Amino acid sequence: MDKVINILMIEDDSLDVRDAQRTLDKMSVLYKMQVARNGEEALAYLREAGESASFMRPDIVLLDLNMPKMNGAEFLHAVRNSDQWKDLKIFVITTSDEKEDRQKVKDLGVSGYIVKPLKFNNPSSIDSFNLMIDIMNIKNRI
Amino acid sequence: MKISYFILFGFLLILVLFSITTWINFRQAERVNENNEFYSRSTTTVRNSNRFQRNILNMVSGLRGYLFTGENYFIQAYDSAARENENILRELSSLVPENSSQGKTLKEIQALNSRWINEFGEPLKNAKTLAGTSDSSLVAFNKLYREKLINPAERNINRALQAKFRDFANYEYDLREQRRQVLTESIAETRKISISLTTLSIVLGLAIAIYLALRISNRIMQMVKMADNIAAGNYESHAVSSGKDELSQLAQSLNHMSKVLSENISLLKRKNEELDQFAHIVSHDLKAPLRGIDNVVTWIEEDHLEELSPKVKEYIGLIRGRLVRSENLIKGILSYARVGREQPEKEMVDLSQLFVDVLENMPVRNGIQVRLPQKLPMVYTERIPLQQVLSNLIGNAIKYHDKAAGKITIDFSNEKTHYVFTVSDDGPGISNHYFEKIFMIFQTLNERDTIESTGVGLAIVKKILDDRKQTITLHSSPGQGATFTFTWPK
Repeated sequence: MDKVINILMIEDDSLDVRDAQRTLDKMSVLYKMQVARNGEEALAYLREAGESASFMRPDIVLLDLNMPKMNGAEFLHAVRNSDQWKDLKIFVITTSDEKEDRQKVKDLGVSGYIVKPLKFNNPSSIDSFNLMIDIMNIKNRI
Repeated sequence: MKISYFILFGFLLILVLFSITTWINFRQAERVNENNEFYSRSTTTVRNSNRFQRNILNMVSGLRGYLFTGENYFIQAYDSAARENENILRELSSLVPENSSQGKTLKEIQALNSRWINEFGEPLKNAKTLAGTSDSSLVAFNKLYREKLINPAERNINRALQAKFRDFANYEYDLREQRRQVLTESIAETRKISISLTTLSIVLGLAIAIYLALRISNRIMQMVKMADNIAAGNYESHAVSSGKDELSQLAQSLNHMSKVLSENISLLKRKNEELDQFAHIVSHDLKAPLRGIDNVVTWIEEDHLEELSPKVKEYIGLIRGRLVRSENLIKGILSYARVGREQPEKEMVDLSQLFVDVLENMPVRNGIQVRLPQKLPMVYTERIPLQQVLSNLIGNAIKYHDKAAGKITIDFSNEKTHYVFTVSDDGPGISNHYFEKIFMIFQTLNERDTIESTGVGLAIVKKILDDRKQTITLHSSPGQGATFTFTWPK
């Protein structure tokens, strides 16, 4: 029996949020999603979640790279340097398919790199997404 | 010091040295001339003194002959000798300076001579002439003859005269010898000075020439090297400019030029980088909203397909088509911006294999045949950009071919300094109006609805070749196919 997965999505484009939700729905994943519109908002949310039980603690983070105020790479830096969240599973979800961008976040320790758009006829994006789901399921089973 | 001043100064110095040499030699020539004059004067003096002595003898013997014989012949000899001696004394006193020791001697000689003539010569001669006229005169003559001629005074005067003249002549000989010695010494001196001054001039001239040659050529070579460096793209090159001469000014100008060049080049580089970055960012930012539209269209198609009327479905198809076109344009900008950002490494490339790779990625079009050269070598070159140029050219030839059956011919030749590739097709050809336009970005010759193209392919080809200072030429006319020929560095 699948457990509900708690997802923190850090994304400034609401359309992309809806896209992710739609994909998860189509894959029949049970999830709860909290959205932060940039890195700063996400960090603020994580601080609250660390202190109060009424806030959902994310099992996984979907992180966009290109955002205002605090971008994805800066957020990764901040998270990896905090004691509480340094082991958080983070998936980068971005439009950029550039080698440099992949390498940059890989060095910051991400669990997966998903290239938008999330299309079922775009195998690479969906494969990464499936991988993400797999990782979450494995975690759920434990 | 300025080089022109240095040369001027050097030559002036040499000129002065030569002038001194000439002046010394001229003075020496004057001295020799003077000596010649002295010598001829001296010869006259000696000759005159010899003649004088001889004349005295003649006078003595003439007088005595006359006294003994009374023959007029003797008195004539006496008279002419006496006359001649008067002349000689006059000439000698004009030749000899009055206050010199010789002048004094000459005066003494004159006095002795006058004394002899007045005391002995003339009285005896006159007495003898008168002796024949009367007995008293004869007595007087005989008396005078005994008094004067037997008297040793006459002989003494004579002897003194002879001695004086010997002295006079000897003095002249001594003087001549002294003058000769002085002249010899001064000639030797002059020669020494001339030789040393001439040698000094030659050495100085050589030294100036060598110094100039070294000083100029070294620095010119340095500046030539610098210019070569600049030509090779090293704009930081710097020439040392010590001193204040013309070459230093040139070096300073060169340095200034290279500085300005360097600044301009780095500015240009920065602008180019900015432009590349700009293209990169713009295309990413453009992508996001397009992808949004694409997402929404996808949702409509996937989730609400049954609710759509055929017209809406058609419109959605049109939106899709323009989305694809936009995406291709963005990809085009990105790949154009990416050219030159990476520095591909050289590697051994099997050209046959390269063409196989290129053709494998081409869209298949039945009836279009690609002909490769029989033998293709291995070359050491940058593979990725070469592959991109070839695949863009061949791709265009296939894509724009207007007939069902066609032929694309590839040629390759290995020149001394570079390779030459040729891609010819028998497609529609291009009017020469468009030869320049087709290499500009986003320029296409077909209406977008006929053939989907972004107009980036040839712009990329041109950029890759420009980056490597290579050329591409096009031979074509409408209906005659097109031949692209480009060079590739070795």
